[in-house]
Order: sequence, then structure tokens, then C-alpha cells
Amino acid sequence: MQRDKFFREIENVTHPNETLVKTHCSYCGMQCGMNLRVNTTTNKIIGVEPRYDWPVTVGKMCPKGVTAYQQTNHDDRILKPLIRDDASLKGTKEGFREASWEEAYALITKKFTELQDNYGKDSLSVFSGVSMTNEKCYLTGKFARVALGTRYIDYNGRFCMASAAGGFLRTFGVDRGSTLPWTDIHETDCLFIAGSNTAECHPTSMFRVWAVQERGGYLIVADPRETPVARRADVHLDLKPGTDLALANGILHLLIKNGYTDEAFINKHTNGFDETKELVKDFTPEHTSFITGVSVEKIERAAEIYGKAPNAIVMFARGVEQQHKGVDNVSAYCNMALVTGKIGRPKAGVATFTGQGNGQGGREHGQKSDLLPGYRKITDPKAVEHVSGVWGINPEDMPEPGVSAYEMFELMQNKTIRGLYLLCSNPAVSAPNLNVVREAMKGLDFMVCADFFLSESAEFADVILPSVTWSEDEGTVTNLEGRIIKINKAQEPIGESKPDWQIQIELAERLGKGKHFSHLKTAKDVADEFRLATKGGNADYYGATWDKIDEQDGVFWPCKDKDDKGTPHMFTDDDNKFYHPDGKAKICALPYRPPAEEPCENYPLRLTTGRVVYHYLSGNQTRRIQFLKDMCPDPYVEVHPETAEKYGIKHEEFVLLYTRRGKSNYKVKITEAIRKDTVFVPYHFGGDESINLLTIAALDPMSRMPEFKVCAAQIEKLESGKVL
Amino acid sequence: MTFIMPEVKEEQTKTRRKLYMELENCIGCRSCLSACTQCGGHEEKNRNYVYDVNPLVNRQTMPLMCLHCVDPACARSCPAQAIQIHETGAVLSALVEKCIGCQNCTIACPYGIPKFDEEENLMYKCDLCIDRTKDDIPPMCASVCPSNTLQWLTEEEIAEKKQKHELDNDKWVTSLPHLEGETHVTVNLPGILQGTTKLF
Repeated sequence: MQRDKFFREIENVTHPNETLVKTHCSYCGMQCGMNLRVNTTTNKIIGVEPRYDWPVTVGKMCPKGVTAYQQTNHDDRILKPLIRDDASLKGTKEGFREASWEEAYALITKKFTELQDNYGKDSLSVFSGVSMTNEKCYLTGKFARVALGTRYIDYNGRFCMASAAGGFLRTFGVDRGSTLPWTDIHETDCLFIAGSNTAECHPTSMFRVWAVQERGGYLIVADPRETPVARRADVHLDLKPGTDLALANGILHLLIKNGYTDEAFINKHTNGFDETKELVKDFTPEHTSFITGVSVEKIERAAEIYGKAPNAIVMFARGVEQQHKGVDNVSAYCNMALVTGKIGRPKAGVATFTGQGNGQGGREHGQKSDLLPGYRKITDPKAVEHVSGVWGINPEDMPEPGVSAYEMFELMQNKTIRGLYLLCSNPAVSAPNLNVVREAMKGLDFMVCADFFLSESAEFADVILPSVTWSEDEGTVTNLEGRIIKINKAQEPIGESKPDWQIQIELAERLGKGKHFSHLKTAKDVADEFRLATKGGNADYYGATWDKIDEQDGVFWPCKDKDDKGTPHMFTDDDNKFYHPDGKAKICALPYRPPAEEPCENYPLRLTTGRVVYHYLSGNQTRRIQFLKDMCPDPYVEVHPETAEKYGIKHEEFVLLYTRRGKSNYKVKITEAIRKDTVFVPYHFGGDESINLLTIAALDPMSRMPEFKVCAAQIEKLESGKVL
Repeated sequence: MTFIMPEVKEEQTKTRRKLYMELENCIGCRSCLSACTQCGGHEEKNRNYVYDVNPLVNRQTMPLMCLHCVDPACARSCPAQAIQIHETGAVLSALVEKCIGCQNCTIACPYGIPKFDEEENLMYKCDLCIDRTKDDIPPMCASVCPSNTLQWLTEEEIAEKKQKHELDNDKWVTSLPHLEGETHVTVNLPGILQGTTKLF
């Protein structure tokens, strides 16, 4: 299915004594197809071979993908459970000793039981992630609510996809990250990409992006930096960080004023147009230009191109979402598609570039503090009843909603939460305002971390449990299109490492909850229970069996039953187009709010953060891969040459960068490809180099997403040789 | 100098693909470098390079790949005839048993492609993943390139590109027949979109 002009039948190269295992990358939401090369004598993964037959990425991979296999048998892998008896060493790598699984389980069971006996069920918490399979994500939610019985579970998607989810739910009544398959992208006439450094964060989208221009189509990019994708844009909207809402309102103003609206579509399929039209009246090009710093001409040109385009796709990413108005930004950009009717058909729609491998599936199935599998609300009695039935618990035993990821650290600080089970995440690097987060983890009575490398967060743990890499387990992942795909096992777990689902089942048994877990013997068993739990929900996976995924090159949810082939294109129904009860979408009237922290005399610069192509999230994986480390060993601060001159600082010189919350030293990288009022630092680095020591924890009122993308900062030139 | 003369049948010349580069597409991800280390025969050393064109100004990058010259300076400068040309036109890395480590080739090549391995006392360069390309399977660099800077195309597809890029205005000619000498790899000069008519 969806074999397009980029697809070619190419035979793979196989070397003697080798077999190829078809799978996908471990990293971002692109989930590029790859073959892992496995030595048939040693049964070890030894390399990678392109997967030309994967219809989305046709063999293409970024440097992270090419080297991803090097994680599996890496020297840094944790091979046995580790226990640290001396709590004074928390926050360091020191003091861990190897232990048996039984000893580790016994200690965890004892400590968790003690804490809950003394301080109640909710004294424990689970902090999870979405760089793992749907099966693991699903079971983690069940583990927290059934095995531990705590309300406090949340996950790192709060730092990633939560605003996109909130915006899509409010606007469309459903949260599927893309309304169309990626194989539509190169066939559209206009791409409007906001807050996405596509070339570095989702590189294998780029051949489709460039192909739009090759066909004579247009590329519009909104970004404070001239990123590699903005470099070739027909219009680069070089806005001030944190002003997306004004820009989107300004474009909407022009689309309405210049007659690019689709009245029939608006009347039949949407609510809220009149109110929104009234609100955006104030967002004239001049007013929009004043707030965003983008020239009037560029705003007018962008609106004209998007308005005229027969088909267009609005795409965005963390740049617009990681703001304290991230949900509003998402809804505001979706407004553009709704007023022009450029959605709900092939080649036209809206999409977010999902950050983590399973950022889509992982947010749907019960790791979020207020959600149960199938995208069900935990506050909905019917949802609780259905899921309780699958789990074999009484509905009244289902815990209440908890709090969001960052707020869990606040509850650790005030001792509401005293114990933590952390997996698949490294918040000691990836959370905002790290001085607070690291202190909160240090102050815990007891902490368990399941990981395959000793991350900066694992340094705060009392017990570390060795989990497996993606290549040593199987299961499904939902990629950035909303396509459920299959991850295949290429190698047996090394050392004594185990998949997270197995660890949680074994722990549940020791916590006296075996009857809810012991029937699950394999990842496939978990998958079958998980599909049942999603049945009837918005994100219905019931019909997405592993066999169907193999046969169809993936299955787009919703997929309700055996005969349902899935839903590549969303909102194609001409009557009940959208997912709100009335079948309509909401065009949202969204007043502009400035960033939580605006520049001032003491902090005159805008600090923004993001990724580089060589690293993934907190860098716990990629900083260990030699090629990637060689390409980008250290963080840096990007500064415009005119700004650098004002401060008297030079290329490659170290400076002190500080905000109201923290400070760090960075090497200066001079580039004209950034606004003069803005500095940029990549966030993949640990210890004193973490830029999140400086970022602000201003949370979006709906998604609870922190404002990673903008805060006020200052630079200080250092006397030579003087660093922190 | 020993040349293995190509004996290619007529029908093969049509399907036989070649490396083609559109430099403006480059996003600087260096996937091509990482993939080069993974072909299985490259001892995990990359044999291609990516440069920041003007690093203090913008993010334009460009790959520097062996162009597999028809009359390659590296092979001509080799006193030991260690650099062979494959029947597909690929200029191979030095034969281990013949290379005397004189490093003539590293200086002779106008693009700086051949490098010298001090430990092995051996020159190494791109062999266009000959284990793959001899069977018309794309080399690792072009297989993975996320931006289609590096493509593996038939003569017809390359001709189509050239036609599209040659404008009838005496100004833009982005497809050159060859640079310094005739090569088996085709490179475009900047301006690939100049001949594109906008859709609206």
C-alpha cells in the first residue's frame, strides 16, 4: 500500500553467515524502516542494511538510525540489577553493587510496601516514557494503577506531544498526529511548517519536502532560526520565539480578509468561525509584525500562498508546542486549515512531527495521568468500567487522575510522593528547571530506575533494573502518521536484562497482584489484552492484529475490527467529518498571550532550545555512540554576529549563559542564521551542561507542557580560562 | 596502467544506474558518512566528506564524494598500478598487495578524496560500494540520504534532470557535462529550481 514514486524494488545485500531482521528505528516518530544484520553463528546484531521496501522511508535513515544498532551490544549496557546501599551517594554514579533479580525485587517490594503502609497508596509514583512499544506503554499504566494502586503516573510526553494532543482534541475531537499518511506530503502544493527543525529532527521527511518545491509547490517555514529547511523556504517567517499565536492569528486575518475562506466547509463542518473572525480582526499584518518581528511583506506573502494553494498541509512541532500556550498555538494553526477547508481529503490536512518513536501510541493508552487505554478519560465512568473489566478489578478501585510530569516533581519536593519507579525516561536532563527536579529526585525515600544505560536520572536511584533495547523485544509502535507498525526482535536480551513488561509482571506478582498479570507470558499476550482494552475507544486498535500489520505495511488507527483496514486519511466522511459529538470541528478564538517570561533589562535575550541531528532527546543513548559523539560532542550557544559583537564575544569562546533559574558555560557558535534577539542551545547534554538548568517550568494550562522554547536570558563574557 | 575495460551489453547500459548529486538538497546530516562506515567492506572508516560551506553565515552544507573520473588522476599518479577501475567505471580503493604507500594519489586528486591510513600504510578511498553497485544496488550513501542529495539513477533519469535544469535563457545551466574531466558521477551546480514553473 501507498507505494509512491520514490518506491523501488531493490534486493538487499546479505553477507555470508548473516540474516536480516526487518524492523524500525529505535528513535524518533519517523520510525524509519531498517533491517538489522544478525550474525547467524553468534546470534548477535552486527550492523544495519537499508529497508528499501518500507513505503514511508524507502531505505532512508539519518545518522542516528544508521548507528542505532550499536546500542544493543554496547559496553555501557547494564547487565545485572544494581543496588546502592549508601543513599548519601545519590546523584552520582558511585556506590552501586550487582545483585540478583530476586534480591532487587525483594528490596523493591519491601520498600514500596513500607511506603504505602506508612503514607498511603499515592506515596508511590511512576514516571514513564514513550520510546517503547504500545505493549510496554499499556502495561506501565496497568502496573501503576493495578499493581501499585497509585494515582501518580505520568510520562515524558508532557515534555513532547502533550500540547499537540490538547490542541487536536479541542479542535477536532480526536488526537491523531497526522490527518494523512506521509506519502501524501510530496504531492501537496504548499507546506506550511511551523516550529519544526525538520531537517535535523525528522530528516527522512526531507526528500518529500524538497519534492514539493521540485514540482513547483511552495515551502513556508516559521522559525526563529534559519534552519536547514528554512534555508530553502519560499518564505521564511523568522518570528520571535513564543509569538506563534500572533502569527497564526495574523495569517488567519489575511485568509479571511482576502477571501480565501471556504464558506460551505465552514458552515457544514465547523463551529466558532464568527467569534474567531471577530478576534483576529485586530491581527492586521502591522500588528502581527509588531508582535512577531516578522516583516509585513512576509506575512502577506505567506497568507497569499497558503490561501491560493489548491492543496496544503500545515505541519508543526515542538517549536510551537513547547510553550505555555502550546495548545492554543496548535489550535490556531489548525484554524488555517479549517477556514480554508484544506483538510479531510488527500494531500490536504494538518500534522505534527511526533518527537519520540511511540509519541503517538504512548500517549493514547494509559500512561498519562488522566487517561486509560484507547484514549479514554479516567474520569468517564463508562471508560473506567470497560478497562476495569479487562483488568479484572473493581471499578471503584481505579485510582483518580494524577498530576502532570513536572508537577510530580513538585509533589516529590513536598513529600506527597516518596517513591518513584522510573523507566524509559531521563528527566534529570529532559525536564525544565533542573535544579528543582534533581533536588526532588535526590530527596525521594526510595527510587527504582529501569534502563539499559546508566542515565543521569539513574544516578538518583536506589535500585537499577536492567531493561532491554528495542532490538531485544517485539511489539508495536504507532508512528507519526498514526500508523501502527511492528518492531521485531533481532537478538536475545544480553546479560540478565529483561523487557519492561516482564519486569513489571514479575514485580506485580511479588506485590500480590499476580492474578491480574500472571496470564501474560509474552509480548503478544500483552498485545492481545491491550487491543481489547482499546476496543470502542477513540484510539481503537482492536482490529490492528500483528498479522494485519505485516500484511498491510502497518495499520492506521482507528481500526475497529477484523475487516477494518484502518484509516490512512482522517475526516473523509462528508457528514460526520470530525469527532466532536456534533460531527464538527471547532475554529477557536484565541487571544494572544506573550511568553511567561519576556526579555527585560537584566535578561535581554530570548533563550530557545532544541535538537541537533546527531542526538536524540536527553542523549542517554546517542552520546554513547562514537560516530554521533564525534559529530557533536558538546553543547554550544548559537549567537548572531551582531549580538556577539555587542557582548565582545568571539566564535568558539566560552561564555556564561544564565537565567533566573540557573547558569552554565557554553562555547559560542557564531551564525547569521538566528535572530539577533535570540540564542539557541541544544538540550541533549547532562550534568552542568544541561540547558534545562536554565529553562522555565511555566506550564500550559491545558496540556501542562513546560515552556522549553522561550525564556529570558543573559550572557556574560568570561575572563579567559574561567569556567564554572 | 591496467584498465579493466567494461564489457557491458547494450540493454545493461540502460538499466545501469549512476550516482547523481543535487548539492542544494544537502541538509548536513552526515548520514552518508555514517552509512559509508557500515557497508561491511570499509573497515568502519568513512570515505566521503561533508563540508559547511559558510559556517558563520548559514547552514548550507555539501557532500564531497569521489566522482569516479573516467581518466582518474589518482590512478594515473599511482606508480604501482594499485588503483583499479571496475567494469562499471567505479575507481576502486588501492589493492592491498600493490599499494606502496607513496601517497601520490592523495595529492593528485583535485577533490582530495583518497586518504592515507598510517597504521595500515595503505591508501583508502570510495569504491562506490562496489559489492552493491556491481549488482545495481545503490551504494550505502545514496541508499540512506534523507534529502535526496545523493541519488542512484538511470541514464534516462539523469538525462531528464539535465533537460529540466538547462534553461533557454543563456544564464542557468545547472547540469554540467563534467567538471575537470569526464566522470561517472553527475553533479549539479546550484540552481536546480530555476527551471521549475510554479504551480500557481
